[in-house]
Amino acid sequence: MAQYFGLDKIAAFFKTIQQYGGIRASLYKIYRMDSLRPGTLVGTDKYGNKYYENPSYFYGRNRWVEYAPYYGLEYDASQVPAEWYGWLHYKTDLTPDKDPFRPKYKWMADHTENLSGTSGQYMPYTTTRPKIEPWIPPKSS
Amino acid sequence: MAFGSDRSRFTDIDFSGKRAVEDKDIGPLVKTIMTRCIHCTRCIRFASEVAGVDDLGTTGRGNDMQVGTYVEKMFMSELSGNIIDLCPVGALTSKPYSFTARPWEIRKIDSIDVLDAIGSNIIVSTRTGEVMRIVPRVNEEINEEWLADKSRFAYDGLKRQRLVTPMIRDCNGELKPVDWEAALLTVAKVVKGAGSSIGAIAGGLADAEVLVAVKDLLNKLGSEALCTEHTFPLDGSGTDLRSSYLLNNKIVGAEEADLILLVGTNPRFEAPLLNSRLRKAWVHNELNVAVIGPKVDLRYPYEHLGDNPEILQNILCEEHVFSNKWKSAKKPLLIIGSDTLERPDGAAILAAAQSLAAKTCPEKSWKVLNILHKIASQTKFGEGNLKVLLLLGADDCSINKSDLPKDCFVIYQGHHGDYGASIADAILPGAAYTEKQATYVNTEGRAQETLVAVSPPGRAREDWKIIRALSEIVGTKLPYDNLNEIRDRLDQVAPHLTKYGYAEEANYFKQAEQLAKKTQAKLDSSAPIDVKIKELQDYFMTDSISRASPTMAKCVQAVLKQKQSKY
Amino acid sequence: MASPLLRTRALSKLPLHIKWVCSNISTSAVRHADPSIKNDVALLNPGETDISPVTGIPEDFVKERRVRIYEPAKNCMQSGTNNIGHWQMEFDTKERWENPLMGWCSTGDPLSNMNVEFSTKEEAIEFCEKNGWQYYIHESKLQKKFKPKSYGINFAWNKRTRVSTNYILEQYLAQYLRQGQVRFLAKN
Repeated sequence: MAQYFGLDKIAAFFKTIQQYGGIRASLYKIYRMDSLRPGTLVGTDKYGNKYYENPSYFYGRNRWVEYAPYYGLEYDASQVPAEWYGWLHYKTDLTPDKDPFRPKYKWMADHTENLSGTSGQYMPYTTTRPKIEPWIPPKSS
Repeated sequence: MAFGSDRSRFTDIDFSGKRAVEDKDIGPLVKTIMTRCIHCTRCIRFASEVAGVDDLGTTGRGNDMQVGTYVEKMFMSELSGNIIDLCPVGALTSKPYSFTARPWEIRKIDSIDVLDAIGSNIIVSTRTGEVMRIVPRVNEEINEEWLADKSRFAYDGLKRQRLVTPMIRDCNGELKPVDWEAALLTVAKVVKGAGSSIGAIAGGLADAEVLVAVKDLLNKLGSEALCTEHTFPLDGSGTDLRSSYLLNNKIVGAEEADLILLVGTNPRFEAPLLNSRLRKAWVHNELNVAVIGPKVDLRYPYEHLGDNPEILQNILCEEHVFSNKWKSAKKPLLIIGSDTLERPDGAAILAAAQSLAAKTCPEKSWKVLNILHKIASQTKFGEGNLKVLLLLGADDCSINKSDLPKDCFVIYQGHHGDYGASIADAILPGAAYTEKQATYVNTEGRAQETLVAVSPPGRAREDWKIIRALSEIVGTKLPYDNLNEIRDRLDQVAPHLTKYGYAEEANYFKQAEQLAKKTQAKLDSSAPIDVKIKELQDYFMTDSISRASPTMAKCVQAVLKQKQSKY
Repeated sequence: MASPLLRTRALSKLPLHIKWVCSNISTSAVRHADPSIKNDVALLNPGETDISPVTGIPEDFVKERRVRIYEPAKNCMQSGTNNIGHWQMEFDTKERWENPLMGWCSTGDPLSNMNVEFSTKEEAIEFCEKNGWQYYIHESKLQKKFKPKSYGINFAWNKRTRVSTNYILEQYLAQYLRQGQVRFLAKN
C-alpha cells in the first residue's frame, strides 16, 4: 500500500539521513560525494576508504567507495588500493577480508595514487651513460 | 639449379686451404687484421723512409708472406698512426676508433690541432655531439698529409676530467658546484677588490681571442701582469721583434736547408712533423744536421757537438771545428728549442744564436734563425704582489700554491680538471679546442682557426665570452659582443692574427741581433743544455687533454713494456 | 624556377613539349651563353644585387650566421681524387644538446645540414653576396712542389736514398763512407 503512494521512499529517505548521522552530515555528503545512497558498509581499507554495497541498485551502481575524510575534495579513483579494486569493479564478489586466496608477499609495495599533474609526477630522465665525465675535485683533507 | 650450384669449386680448401694470417700486435694504437694485407708494403716503406723506424718488414715469400715485426714488437714511433691512413685495405685500422662509428653517421668539421705547436690541419669527425676520431687534412705547407700520434689519438681525453660547472671553494676548502651567476658575482667582487694587483698566466691551449680579452681586461684594471707559462727571454729584442721568437724560415723551408744546427731541441717529440721534414731533407737533399744538447734519437744520423752552451760561443768565434761548415753552408738553419730559452742564460743563448745567424751569408729571403715552440699559444704574447691570479688553462705545475701570497685568489678558467683547477679558489669552465671557433698561431707565426665541432659540455662556455661577461660585472665592460668584433680587436692588436693560413714574414734580423748584443746575460757553461722530452714515453702526455686520455696512458704503458723486452 | 631561357625568342619557336623540358634547365653555363640577357644588369652583376628580402630566409639567419666557403678535403685514407675539386659552403655550427628523454642529439638549427656545392670559388662568393650572408673563404694549401723522382734512387750506391733494412750500417755508410769522408782502399 505504501508503495503506491511512494511513502516507502520517503521513509527510505529519512532512514538514509539517519544512517549518515543527521541533516548536516548528509548535506556535507551530498556536497562532497554528489550522491546520498543508503548502503551496507562492507569493509574499510587501511587508508580509511569505506566500501558500501546496496543490491537494490542496478549493476554498476551496486558497490561504491567513500573516500577517507582526510582526502577532502581531492579524492581520486586511483586512491583505491589493489585488494579492494577487484571487489569494487565486480571482478570478484569476495571482499579482501573474506577471501582466503589473496596473495600476501613480503615484497608487495604500498599502494600509491596517481600523481600525474602534481609535483610528484614522473619526469622522464636519461638512463644513457653520460658522454662527458666531469672532473671530481680532490677532497682536501 | 636455377641460381647455380650449391657447392663451391674451391677444392683446394681440403689441401692447402685459404690463406689466413695471424693478427700482429704492434701497439695500442694500430689494430691489425693481417688476413686483409695485400703486401703492398706501403706501411713498411712509410716506417722506414718517413718515420725512420725500421720495425716493419716482410717475412717469408709467396703465399706465406707476412708483413709485420716478426717478433712481437710495438711499432715505436710518434708517427705510427699514419700507417692507418696509408693501408689501402683494412689491414691496419685505428684501435681506439674501431667499432665506435660508421662513416655515414659522421659529421666532418675542419679544424686545427693544438696539442703541439705545428698547427696541423685536422678533420674532427663527430657523431651525436661527441668527437669520434681525428684525421689529418692535407696542407702542403705544414703537415703534408701526416698527423702525429698525440694529436690523432688524444681525443678521448676530451671526454674525461672535464670541467662542466663553475665551482667556488667554500669555507671548508671544498670546491662546490655553483651556477654562473653566483660564480661570476663572487669572482667579480674579488676582482673589484683587488684593483690593479691582478695577474694572469696563460697556459698552452689558450687561444688568441681569450688572450686579447684578458689583456684588455687587465689593462683596463690597471695591471700589466699577463704572461705565458713558459718564459721567454725579454732582454735584447725579446718579444718585440717577431723574428726572435718564430720559426722564421717556415716548416717548408726546413726541407730545403743543407745544414741545420739544432740547439736544445728534440724535434722528434716536440714537433714530429717538422722532424719528418728534416728526415726527408736528410734523405733526399743531402742535409747535414748537428745537435747541441743531449744525445737524443732523431731517427736520422747527426753530428753531436756536445751539450755545453759555450759551444755556440766557440762556433761564433771560429774556434770550433764546425765553424767552417757553418760558414760555407748555402742554406743553413739554426733551430733553437723553447726549453733552452727558458733557462736563466736563455737571453745569452739567443744572442749568440742571432750573431751566429748573422755571420752566415745565405741567399736572399732565407732566414737562418728559427725558434721551435712546443705549445700552441706560446707565440702570441711576449709578478709582485698579486691578489688575484687568473690561470687560463695553466696546468704545467710551474706555479705552486706556496709560491703565491697567502690571500691570493686563484681563478682557473679552462676545460680540464688538472693541476691548475686543484689549486684554484674559483673555477670557470671553458671550451676545449674542438668546441670553440678560435684563432691559434703556430710556431711559424701562421694564424689558423679551429671550428666548433661539438658543443661545450654542461655549463661550459667559450673562453672569451666568460671574460667579456666578467668584465661587464666588474664594471669595465669590454667593447666586443660577438666574434666579428673580437676579431676586429685582434686585427687591431696584430693584423697578422686574422690573416688565416698565411704566415707573415718576419724582418729586422739585423736590428734584433744588435739589440741582443746589448744583453747582460752570460752563457752558463755549468748547466748543460737539456730537453724535457727525450724518450717516446714522455711524448704522449704533455698537456691537460692528453693527460686525461686513456689511450695515451695505454701508449705510455706499452712503450715502457716494450723497452724492457729484448727486441 | 623559371629559366631566363624562356624569355628568348629562339625558344618560343620550339614546340611546346620541348619548351617545358628546357624550362627546367638553369645551369650557369647556359645562362652566360645566352646573348639576349646581356642587357640584364641583375644577372650580370650578381654581387650588386641583394635578394635576401625575397628569399624568405629569416633576418637573423642572414645577419648572424657566417658562411665558410672551402674546398672539401680529400679523404686521407683514400687516393681517389674524384670527390674533390669543387667548392662548398657551410654555416657555422650551433649548439647541439642531449635530448633529455631519449638521449638523442638535438639541435635547434635548421641550417645545420645545409651544404651547397659549387664548381668554382667565384660562384660560391656570388651566391653568398646575393643572399647577403657574411662569408669567409678558406683557401686550401694543396700546391705541392714538383720533385722529379726515379725508382733508381732506391738503389743508389752513394746516396742516402738507398733503401735497406740494415739501419745502423746504412747510417754509417750514408754518413761517412759514401760522402767520401772515410775511404776504403781496395787492394786489387
